Amino acid sequence: MRLPFFSMFMTSPFEGLQEHAEKVKECGWAFQQAIECHLSDKCQTFEEFRQEVIRLESDADAIKRRIRGHLPKGTLMPVYNFLLFRYLREQDQVIDAVEDALDWISFRSEPGIPAELEKDFVNLADAVIAPIEQLSKMVAEARTYFKNYSEEQRVLIKKIIRTLRQQEHEADKAEDIIKQKVLNMDIDAVTIFHMVRLAEIMGSIADHAENAGDMMRAMVAK
Amino acid sequence: MLLRHSPSRLNLINLRIMSQEYYILIIGYIFGFYMAWNIGANDVANSMASSVGAKAITIRQAIFLAGILNIIGAVFIGSHVTNTIRKGIVSTDIMTDPHVALIGALSALLAAALWVSFATWKSLPVSTTHSIVGAMIGFGIMAGGFSVINWGKLLAVVLSWIISPLFSIVIAYLIFKIIVRLILSKKDTFARALKLSPIFIGMTFFVVVLSFLFKTPLGKKMDLGPPASLTVAVILSVLLGFAGMAVLKRFVKDRETGAEGIFRRIQVGTACYVALAQGANDVANAIGPLAVIYFLVKTGSVGGKVPVPVFLLLFGGVGIACGIAMAGHRVMDTMGRKITTLSNTRGFAVEFAAATTVLVASKMGLPVSTTHAAVGGVLGVGLARGIEAVNFGIVFKIMVYWVLTVPVAALTSMAIFKLLQIIL
Repeated sequence: MRLPFFSMFMTSPFEGLQEHAEKVKECGWAFQQAIECHLSDKCQTFEEFRQEVIRLESDADAIKRRIRGHLPKGTLMPVYNFLLFRYLREQDQVIDAVEDALDWISFRSEPGIPAELEKDFVNLADAVIAPIEQLSKMVAEARTYFKNYSEEQRVLIKKIIRTLRQQEHEADKAEDIIKQKVLNMDIDAVTIFHMVRLAEIMGSIADHAENAGDMMRAMVAK
Repeated sequence: MLLRHSPSRLNLINLRIMSQEYYILIIGYIFGFYMAWNIGANDVANSMASSVGAKAITIRQAIFLAGILNIIGAVFIGSHVTNTIRKGIVSTDIMTDPHVALIGALSALLAAALWVSFATWKSLPVSTTHSIVGAMIGFGIMAGGFSVINWGKLLAVVLSWIISPLFSIVIAYLIFKIIVRLILSKKDTFARALKLSPIFIGMTFFVVVLSFLFKTPLGKKMDLGPPASLTVAVILSVLLGFAGMAVLKRFVKDRETGAEGIFRRIQVGTACYVALAQGANDVANAIGPLAVIYFLVKTGSVGGKVPVPVFLLLFGGVGIACGIAMAGHRVMDTMGRKITTLSNTRGFAVEFAAATTVLVASKMGLPVSTTHAAVGGVLGVGLARGIEAVNFGIVFKIMVYWVLTVPVAALTSMAIFKLLQIIL
């Protein structure tokens, strides 16, 4: 009955975006547990956390596909769809990077992270978790903004984006410290490569979160 | 001849013709009711969609309100005089032969009812007004050839496909932008909405009062003229606007709901108005041709206009209400699940735009459809970036059916006319 009238109304892609951001957040927690577990001597559950992240990543992928597949040509949204897709891509790459980092660790779980670097890796892990947690908050605030278009709300989102940038900068610094230390350590080349690459992958988590923030900035631009 | 046709035989022939006409009248009643039923089943979505979608009223309330208001609209505001040819699109010359007129009215009613019920079945968005206009064109062509078509009026129909949604888009866009600028973007949206509610309630009443004065037979009887009508509308809308605010102040206490809580109440009013206007407007689509048949059977001739007895208006109104009651639930249920992205402020903008478009366009003499206006309203709010996702692409599909309605109804009507001519 008059279905084409109803067909004008679609499921909001922002709902999916929010769901996706929640998955990313959950993934962040699992990642932190996994890293802490890997750094402790008696770790039994690293693989469990890694599997959890893999499961969350595939859930997030499904959400991403659902959003992309349900936005036909001519969809009218508060934002351009290419911005939404690019935002989604960045948010998805956060979760991909988390998975990559844990995979990379698992490829060479022994001898593990050298004791001298443990503290630095804890710092780096903390530095990349912080922006992940901002993402779902940012999406929720953006949805509110698209409902009321209040300047106050826009300022709030811009503040979150600024925080993301600062956090990425902190993560960069933590990454650089590790690289500098590793490259000057008297250890085997494979460990050096493994550690440098790990620091880079972990650092990219914050990079993608920052990129997502930049995309959000474009979405809320007047 | 006289020998062959004795008086008793002539009476018999007369009786046969009479009984045949009564059969036609009965068939007319059935199809008139069926058409009204379809209008109810289809159009309930237009008036109540945004209100139910925005959770301003429940499905049960929507069905009840729409049913009652459609009957009231049909009986009290519906035109008590109808043009024999809706919207004067076909010359009334073809009505001079009562037999042709009878067959024509019946075939037009049948054709329109068939097309609308096909649309209901296939979920196509068509205008009942345009269906009956198309069917009348078909009958006109069969009875008097192409020369009887008033091409200017037909152009108005074509224009209405573009003008009514466009007009509705612009109004909905502006209203929503104003709501955002003045209310939603502010800190205490509840207080802002309450403070400005007289403007929005007043605007709604302004449209309601004007349409009452311009469109209804009662209003026409008062014959106030545009300046006096405008003055009356302004005074009434200011008074009612402030009265509305007082009512809102007294009854709406939940500040947490913000502006949406205020607009939820205002929206109930606009939904009621659309339902009322619909009953008044659309009842003629179902009972206009029926009135022609009724008049022909009763008096044997028909002019350019026929009076519509109140019982026919009631008959049409009840038909519409039956359609709403029987099919409405399914439609509304779909609505409730589908239209989740529409909040009360958005719903208000859509309904206000649709109602205003219907008023202004019909004042301009365009045969408008509430469907077209409602679709335009949704798009307007969408363009104002008010809805998280609207499928703009579907509009082109919807438009195809708007355009198709007139020729399909015309062709069906032509075929039925030919068939009836052979049978009767």
